[in-house]
Amino acid sequence: MAETAAPYTANIVDTVIFRTLGKAPSEHIESLKQAVAAAGTELWVPPAVYRELTDSGQEPPHNPYLDSGVADGWIRVATPFSGDRETSYESVTDPVQQARYLADDYLNQGSKYPETNNWRDAAVVALAVRLFEENTRIRVITHTADENLARACARIPPEFGYYDIESRHYNPPQTAKQRFPTVESLSWHGK
Amino acid sequence: MSYDTEHVRNAGDGPARITGLSTFTALLTNPDLADLYTRIRRSAGITAPELIDHVSISKKTVYDYLHRLERAGLIVEADAKSSGTTSTYEAEAFELALTIRGIEVSITPELVAVIAHSAEYPVITRVCDEHGFVVFALAHDLIKDHSEGEITIRQIAELADLSTGTIYDLVEAVYAIHDLGDDAEAPTTYTPDDVAGDERRSELTD
Repeated sequence: MAETAAPYTANIVDTVIFRTLGKAPSEHIESLKQAVAAAGTELWVPPAVYRELTDSGQEPPHNPYLDSGVADGWIRVATPFSGDRETSYESVTDPVQQARYLADDYLNQGSKYPETNNWRDAAVVALAVRLFEENTRIRVITHTADENLARACARIPPEFGYYDIESRHYNPPQTAKQRFPTVESLSWHGK
Repeated sequence: MSYDTEHVRNAGDGPARITGLSTFTALLTNPDLADLYTRIRRSAGITAPELIDHVSISKKTVYDYLHRLERAGLIVEADAKSSGTTSTYEAEAFELALTIRGIEVSITPELVAVIAHSAEYPVITRVCDEHGFVVFALAHDLIKDHSEGEITIRQIAELADLSTGTIYDLVEAVYAIHDLGDDAEAPTTYTPDDVAGDERRSELTD
């Protein structure tokens, strides 16, 4: 009997992780590229993360952290999400948009300052749900240095029936420089 | 006798002299002075020669600054003359509270310790110069909240009205200076089972 292929594992990465690694080229980015290849995965970023890392002072705008990986095909920038925060939750039927609302609310609920706009943070969770929606055999690993966001990444997708998610929290953030660009961090543990 | 007037509280044995107020504010604008004070605060009993070995300013400037800090009551010199040994120094804790246009801000040794690293982390000077000390103090405190898991970095940026890029740089600095975070060898991994007990408001899904 033929063995069933393992599900595809996608890694979603938050801005702070790339900031910690620094601009390309660097030894850390090279280590990351090799780890991605060895783990058989790809790195995904929401459009908001790409924009935060873009140097808009240059013409044309340039992303010194991501562009080389995007050009090489091991970093993928998600297409923009539809909808905005001003739309009422009740009128939204798309699970991806719903997940973004729920993540926004969850982040404020867990925050000491519960009246902030978490729309960009919530994009990380929304991207996870979108990847689950668009792929039947997929696992998702998220990487961030925000504890609340890390918890949201593991808490919200199950509300839509998606449980194959692991969410890694780097604390302190600068530890991502050593601990993120490894096969271990990019691979599914399944604990 | 102790005092509890409008402006003087808990003066103990008497209203001790507070002099050299300019030195307190200089701790915010002079990273070398801040560094000297912070080193003494972290290593009670340190000597002048030991300080000179670890700072980048001249021996003369070190002694000038020590006298300045001592006159302001920010450090005390142990009486070593009778014992014939080298003088040692200890730092005094302080809190300088200011209320300006309804906003209260406290200058404390903890903030001075961050200022002391301005040369290593240029973002500290950039935030103080371009956005003011209140914003710097606010961002500092919010970053400490972040280390406790109570806020995200983007929430800090919104609350302090700073760019996310600036906050990322400041996060790196404050975490390193205060040695925040845990010592885990690997990132913490959360699974749905780990957070299933996290309550979530129900009104969005009703």
